[in-house]
Amino acid sequence: MMAARATMAFSLGFHIIFAAIGMTMPFFMSAAHYFFLRRGNAADLELTKLWMKGVAIFFAVGAVSGTVLSFELGLLWPRFMLHAGPIIGMPFSWEGTAFFLEAVAIGLFLYGWKRMHPWVHWATGLVVGISGFVSGIFVVAANGWMNAPSGFDWVNGAAQNVDPVKAMFNPAWAHQTLHMQLAALQSVGFAVGGIHAFLYLRGKAHDFHLHALKIAMTFGAAAALLQPLAGHIAGQHVARLQPAKLAAMEGHFETSTHAPLYIGGIPDVEMRQMKWGIPLPGMLSFIAHDDFNAEVTGLDRFPEKDWPPVLVCHIAFQIMVGIGFAMAFIGLLYFWFLRRGVFPPWFLGILVLFIPLGAVAVEAGWVVTEVGRQPWIMCGLMRTRDAVTPVPGMVYHFYLFLVLYLGLAAATVWLFARQVRAAQTRISLKFHD
Amino acid sequence: MIEILIGFIGASLWLYILLGGIDYGAGILELLPAGALREPRKQVINQAMGPVWEANHMWLILIVVILFMGFPGIFTTLMISLHLPMLALLLGIVIRGAAFTFRHYDAIQAPTSQRVYTLLFGASSLWTAFWLGIIAASLNRGTIDLETRSAWEAYILPWCGLYPVAVGLFIICIFVFLAAVYLIGETEDAALRQHFTRHAMLLNWCVVFSGGGVFLASLAERQSLASAFVRNPATLGVMVLASSLFAALWRFIRAGRIRLTRAVASGQVTLILLGWVLLYAPNAVLTRQKPLSFYDTASPPATLWQLVLALVIGSLFIFPSLIYLFRVFKMKP
Repeated sequence: MMAARATMAFSLGFHIIFAAIGMTMPFFMSAAHYFFLRRGNAADLELTKLWMKGVAIFFAVGAVSGTVLSFELGLLWPRFMLHAGPIIGMPFSWEGTAFFLEAVAIGLFLYGWKRMHPWVHWATGLVVGISGFVSGIFVVAANGWMNAPSGFDWVNGAAQNVDPVKAMFNPAWAHQTLHMQLAALQSVGFAVGGIHAFLYLRGKAHDFHLHALKIAMTFGAAAALLQPLAGHIAGQHVARLQPAKLAAMEGHFETSTHAPLYIGGIPDVEMRQMKWGIPLPGMLSFIAHDDFNAEVTGLDRFPEKDWPPVLVCHIAFQIMVGIGFAMAFIGLLYFWFLRRGVFPPWFLGILVLFIPLGAVAVEAGWVVTEVGRQPWIMCGLMRTRDAVTPVPGMVYHFYLFLVLYLGLAAATVWLFARQVRAAQTRISLKFHD
Repeated sequence: MIEILIGFIGASLWLYILLGGIDYGAGILELLPAGALREPRKQVINQAMGPVWEANHMWLILIVVILFMGFPGIFTTLMISLHLPMLALLLGIVIRGAAFTFRHYDAIQAPTSQRVYTLLFGASSLWTAFWLGIIAASLNRGTIDLETRSAWEAYILPWCGLYPVAVGLFIICIFVFLAAVYLIGETEDAALRQHFTRHAMLLNWCVVFSGGGVFLASLAERQSLASAFVRNPATLGVMVLASSLFAALWRFIRAGRIRLTRAVASGQVTLILLGWVLLYAPNAVLTRQKPLSFYDTASPPATLWQLVLALVIGSLFIFPSLIYLFRVFKMKP
């Protein structure tokens, strides 16, 4: 059971990074490509092709790791899929369609230079982004259903009166997809912007990298500024749909009005209190219910066997929120410096630090979503332990994927670093200023 | 409605075997010696596969999605009983896709690293094709056991045996055969054409022999499969037709008629698939207890409707774009 959980967590954690890149990076690429077609500038073409290679590598690894996930739903959680398949298969069938289009479009874009009308070719690149983005929405909607199961009646441990449309547009789909799609844009935007900031500081082709940085960071910073709002909406829905998850995220043990929000702190599950946190009185009530005096359900309303792991949820949540606010602040600074037209080196240095942080926040956010739903796989209806496969020796399955994915991650990073180094040399020669 | 879905599964399977099969076969071909033609062969395969392999791979995902949404009973049975072959398949798929992409996008095209990618790509293509065969064979072998308490009978015996291995080898031969036939038309280089032609003819024999091996293995396992195959007029007819096409195939290959060769070769493979499907339709999986048919395991009608809707609307987008993809890359510029 722990092995199955670990395998799923690891596969998802691996895939989400590639998926986030695959569904946002094509937009940056299309933007650069647009500038090239409009202005005929050699630097824009170089940038388009540079980002195209990134898209190609990450898309391919994302596609195969996504295939693994579609099988793993059954390999790890067959008893869940037996019930959930008919109810929540719908977003997956649409996701399959969107992903198919993405695969076709990426083939056309990658190899279609000089074979198509330039603007048709440009459009295929945009289709890669749009279909990737849409397929991301479908998958997250399916995850939303696990948090807010709907579209069926649960009678004696089986689903009846299945309504797949209602299941797809479950109460959690909208806020979760909004939150995730923005997260993908901001984390990838910051990472790409950060890499170009690094190359700007190190290299000779300053204009080239500044231009690249502006494209990526405009997407990233805009998303980062919208994200606190999306996070707030998500928080309010979680308060209503999954009060135990919210309580675990916030380390809120006792139901109370005028509930405090803790910054930092370690929840002590034994003593049922928060340690070392800075309380902001009434803030949790406000965040959850728009009212400083509202009652916020605490963990005491649930039997302890239905508690999610409080410590993990709280820490992951703090990491996500901390990075999220830092990114929003940096996003604000970015637009300020963009208006002034000059980016000071210290700001670019900070951007370099943010290369991995968006990904960390995305991972932390998924930890909150998934760990916070435990012990349930279908919130309130089916426990994860009742869904797990009967196949013995799952721990070896986990080791296999651990080795495979760590190897693949290392290989991808290595390949990517080689690409960046080669590009840096080429670009410095061609576009130095 | 169930028939429409069976149609979609059948069509996806057919396209996956033909198009995906060429991609697998191309990878396996790269393991075979080619002397000085090694590098040009790699280039041709890169060009032929690069734009389309990801789209070709999607047919498999489509099958998985239709199964878990429309026929969850079949999906979960397979994922439990055939856990290990599925795992092996996934391992192959991941390494194969990564190796092929890395080979093309490595910024430094050094001979050593390229050799490693090619080896990984070839070996994982071989491995994945083999496990596809094992899984296909296990569907109708009748050894999946839903009630046993023994781990050996539940998770190993369903797929372990002579017959699955024979089918695995058969699939490998079919894929390489398809790839060799297909690649003849993808190059203008006479020596390389000769190389692919020779392989196509050789693999043709391999398909025949390994097909015979499947029958023998089935007899050796005392399955009713072989006798059922011979007794069923439909499957027998399909088999005879597939075999008689060999004469045509050899003439077209010799005459250098590329399109006709491709059509006949894919026709043969289609007939083999058809024979296999006819043998035990409408059951999807045979188990020790009872056959699982599409009809018994179907999801509620509301779900099936949504699935059909998604597939039909999806097809309106997918097929035109696929046709466009193949037109752009498969027409000589």
